[in-house]
Amino acid sequence: MIKIQNLHKSYGNTAILKGIDVEVKDGEVLAIIGPSGSGKSTLLRCLNFLEKAEKGIIEIDGAKVNVEQYTKADVVQLRSKTGMVFQNYNLFKNKNALHNVSEPLRLTKKMPKKQAEQVAYDLLAEVGLKGKELNYPVALSGGQQQRVGIARALALNPYVVLFDEPTSSLDPELVEEVLNVMKDVMKQGRTMIVVTHEMEFAKEVADRVIFMADGYIVEQGTPEELFTNPQNERTKRFLKNYLTLHN
Amino acid sequence: MNFDIGYMFDIFPRILQYLPIVLYMGTLSFVLAVIVGLIFAVIINAKVPVLYQLLRVIISYFRGVPTLIQIFIFYFGLPQLFPSLSSIQAITAVIIALSIKNAAYLSEVFRSAFLAVDKSQFEACEAVNMTKWQGLRTVILPQVFRVAIPATGNYYIMMIKETSLAFTIGVVDMLARAKLESAVTYKFLEAYLAVGLIYWAITVVLAFLQSKLEKYMERPYLKEATKS
Ligand SMILES: Nc1ncnc2c1ncn2[C@@H]1O[C@H](COP(=O)(O)OP(=O)(O)OP(=O)(O)O)[C@@H](O)[C@H]1O
Ligand SMILES: [Mg+2]
Repeated sequence: MIKIQNLHKSYGNTAILKGIDVEVKDGEVLAIIGPSGSGKSTLLRCLNFLEKAEKGIIEIDGAKVNVEQYTKADVVQLRSKTGMVFQNYNLFKNKNALHNVSEPLRLTKKMPKKQAEQVAYDLLAEVGLKGKELNYPVALSGGQQQRVGIARALALNPYVVLFDEPTSSLDPELVEEVLNVMKDVMKQGRTMIVVTHEMEFAKEVADRVIFMADGYIVEQGTPEELFTNPQNERTKRFLKNYLTLHN
Repeated sequence: MNFDIGYMFDIFPRILQYLPIVLYMGTLSFVLAVIVGLIFAVIINAKVPVLYQLLRVIISYFRGVPTLIQIFIFYFGLPQLFPSLSSIQAITAVIIALSIKNAAYLSEVFRSAFLAVDKSQFEACEAVNMTKWQGLRTVILPQVFRVAIPATGNYYIMMIKETSLAFTIGVVDMLARAKLESAVTYKFLEAYLAVGLIYWAITVVLAFLQSKLEKYMERPYLKEATKS
């Protein structure tokens, strides 16, 4: 399981995360929603130390790190427990789809080239990219690139996959194919934390939804609880705004 | 007309004997310039305190001083400061002068090439647990080189040509050989034109190789490119 306790993060004098506590169970899908700038991305990025939090305890699948006294080995261990899917895909532009997935395996798990490529072929087929293995990122659509991004994250077999708005850079007609791949990932029982603006997806897929605002977790619950019967004023306003914007 | 074309073809082979020394000076200075230029670029982009300010001054100096004067400073001047260098070889002085000067220029090429590469890819490297060096080596640097290759190739061609300054401090290169030849026969035009044509041929060949390399490096970024 994942257990985050009292996580604090600031940039300069601006506090972004002001004491976040979250627990995620094995195989649970957690959706995080909230207004822009509320710290959702920052929270995800603190979990794999792309950002260094100032205070708090991060525990993922037995790897427990007090961020005030972490070692390089702690960072490596947390990163081996997490895979990340980025809003802008962040594929390696000088590598084709196959090598985007196989190179990390080769470099960080010391897997032999042939074997790493076999894993990559299989995963790319799973995300529906059979035949696109040799395409470089420029020769892939946004949806295809993001599916490579998901395959790359899955290749290292992480305990949890962190998705940071995986569909918000995509043209509307490409969103569906990525969401479908994410549903497949969910069905395999992988633990997932998904920052998203896709409320329908959150409703359908998430076991639990967290609403964040101003660096706090304002409210959380099952999708039904949160979307149909929000308790907090901020949550109500956010969802109302969202609905007027999207109808 | 007084132009002995037969003579010119006669001395080609004799001048070409000194092609290796030209390529040696040019290539070795180029390799050193690339290495030093990369180090400069990393220090400048990382804004390493003190070193960074110091480098700005050094770079400005080496860009400002004519190459020939720089060669004289290294060859004639340094032994005065450090007597142990009194036996510094002319070739060594040329190589040092050319490599430092061009490192100053190349550092700027590499610095902007680094900035041109999308750094979010580096975060992806970190997220999959690559070390910083693995990320640099397999993802970032190849893209930096791709951006930098056209300008860098031009510096290589320029440096090959600049080595002809070596003759002023007594290195026997193609130009020196041509001067020797013409001093005996008084056929200056033929001799110097022969050297000129050889330099021209070198640059044409290098420019051709450079465009091949550029095409090769571009492959991943072209839509139709699908080979691994
Ligand atoms: N590197 C940084 N330096 C300074 N401030 C930053 C940095 N990264 C993020 N911030 C600030 O931190 C706050 C939270 O950013 P974050 O990206 O976590 O928000 P978010 O909830 O993901 O927003 P969005 O929905 O727009 O993605 C914002 O006000 C942002 O401006
Ligand atoms: Mg964000």
